[in-house]
Amino acid sequence: MSHWLNHQLQAIKLVLSRMRANLLSSFMICLVVGVAMCLPSLFYIGVDHLSKLTDHMQNETEISLFLKLDVSHDTISEIDALLAKNPAIKQYHLVTKDEAWQQLQEKSKSSPAVSDAINQLGKNPLPDAFFIQAKSVAPDDLASLKASLQSIPGVEQALLNTDWAKRLATLITLSKKLILFITILLAIVLLVIIGNTVRMQILTQQDEIEVSYLIGATSSFIRTPFLYAGILYGLFGGLFAVLMILGITQIFNYSITDLSNLYSSDFRLTLFNGSLFLAVISAAILIGWLGSYLAVTHAITSITQLQKMVFHD
Amino acid sequence: MIKFDQVTKRYPGSDEVLKNVNLHIEAGEFVFVTGHSGAGKSTLLKLIAAIERPTSGTVLIANQNVSQLKSSAIPFLRRRFGLIFQDHKLLYDRNCFENVILPLRINGVSGNEAAKRVRAALDKVGLLHKEKAMPITLSGGEQQRLAIARAVVSRPSILIADEPTGNLDASYAADIMAIFYAFNQVGVTVIMATHDALGMSATQNRVLHLDQGKLTQHTPTLTDPKQDIGQSESNIEKIAS
Repeated sequence: MSHWLNHQLQAIKLVLSRMRANLLSSFMICLVVGVAMCLPSLFYIGVDHLSKLTDHMQNETEISLFLKLDVSHDTISEIDALLAKNPAIKQYHLVTKDEAWQQLQEKSKSSPAVSDAINQLGKNPLPDAFFIQAKSVAPDDLASLKASLQSIPGVEQALLNTDWAKRLATLITLSKKLILFITILLAIVLLVIIGNTVRMQILTQQDEIEVSYLIGATSSFIRTPFLYAGILYGLFGGLFAVLMILGITQIFNYSITDLSNLYSSDFRLTLFNGSLFLAVISAAILIGWLGSYLAVTHAITSITQLQKMVFHD
Repeated sequence: MIKFDQVTKRYPGSDEVLKNVNLHIEAGEFVFVTGHSGAGKSTLLKLIAAIERPTSGTVLIANQNVSQLKSSAIPFLRRRFGLIFQDHKLLYDRNCFENVILPLRINGVSGNEAAKRVRAALDKVGLLHKEKAMPITLSGGEQQRLAIARAVVSRPSILIADEPTGNLDASYAADIMAIFYAFNQVGVTVIMATHDALGMSATQNRVLHLDQGKLTQHTPTLTDPKQDIGQSESNIEKIAS
């Protein structure tokens, strides 16, 4: 056991000293790993936050029921009565065309161009409208409620405000798939890069490996330092990625804070996402290990063939 | 110690390199392997060092049948040997000390104990004062001595040397031979391949002569009139036993 531990420690020490000797190239490889891990993580953070935001918005659903421009007061009262009886409706309120017109004029006062345009309209173009909140927020219930409201005589159009949120949610599902594939592709790229780096190291140390075999080194003795090299590239690369993610989310947060202040929201990007960081680092380590394992296994097979040429006839 | 029984070796796509070889090397012997290029010397050494396995027949090393040994057991068998190559196989990216310590690392020896043994090995071959030197700065003879130090640092019971004096001039070669004899004196089995008939004609050691894959001569060289008759008799006894 202590022999095994000693061997592992020696291998790690050896790899660290080799990395220190080639500091710049080691740094480059870790940086590549870091950037490659950072990219999908940033996409993930963005999409994750967007999806949280839309979930939140879908809970505030409202159906807008715009009436025909020429409806009479009687029809409005009939619709009012119908809505009051409908069990799927939690609450509703009527905004008449005059109220809406007044609101519009109030709101446009601050911008002269818009108020000029409104004044030029002359007569009120707005319809009477009911704003309805349903009891259920399930998309199917909302859709059927919307359909039933649409069929009421005198109704011009029933608008479900969640439509765009639903579209966004679909887009987010799509983006998540996209991120998955980007992640897989980048993982393959990393596998190749780390594998190739380790292969180059094996080539520069081919003499040592060959001699070590001849004087009784086991395959695991040969393999261990290279596996640690892969693992360390992964670890340092993963740490780089975490640092980059932290920096970039922090920079984004400045702008997002400004933006959400405009919407009087306290929405921020979560700066410290422990499980994401853990996932990034362990994925990087795993990829590093796998890349070097593949490279070293392949190289060892060819070197063990080569070492048979050791004595000359 | 080392026993070949009806050993034949054929490489894929070639004729038999070794044919029906029988031999027995006792612990503490000093044996030469001679023969022309292509006679099978290197194959014989590879079989002894468990680098190759026989096509047929059995190779016993320290009572272990190499053919039946698992690949994972081979490295541990190899640690019983010190191997010395014609082209030294030194590592030119590190100094003498680091070269010699390699087998100890593989054996899991480290720290002061390792340093002590490295210096002892360097001392035996007369290179203690060069422990910090890079191998490329050494002469051919010194490089071969460094290779010997590396071969003996883990205290193997068998030294296998492939033409260790092949590329050296006479005085260096004599130095090297003296070192091998010194190890043999303290009980190390030495098996040395050479085509240098002069280098061994003056010795009283057993000679395994290979001719086209056959072990044709299994006796001490009697061509040398100065050869001590009593010594050759004892060698014949050894062969007979």
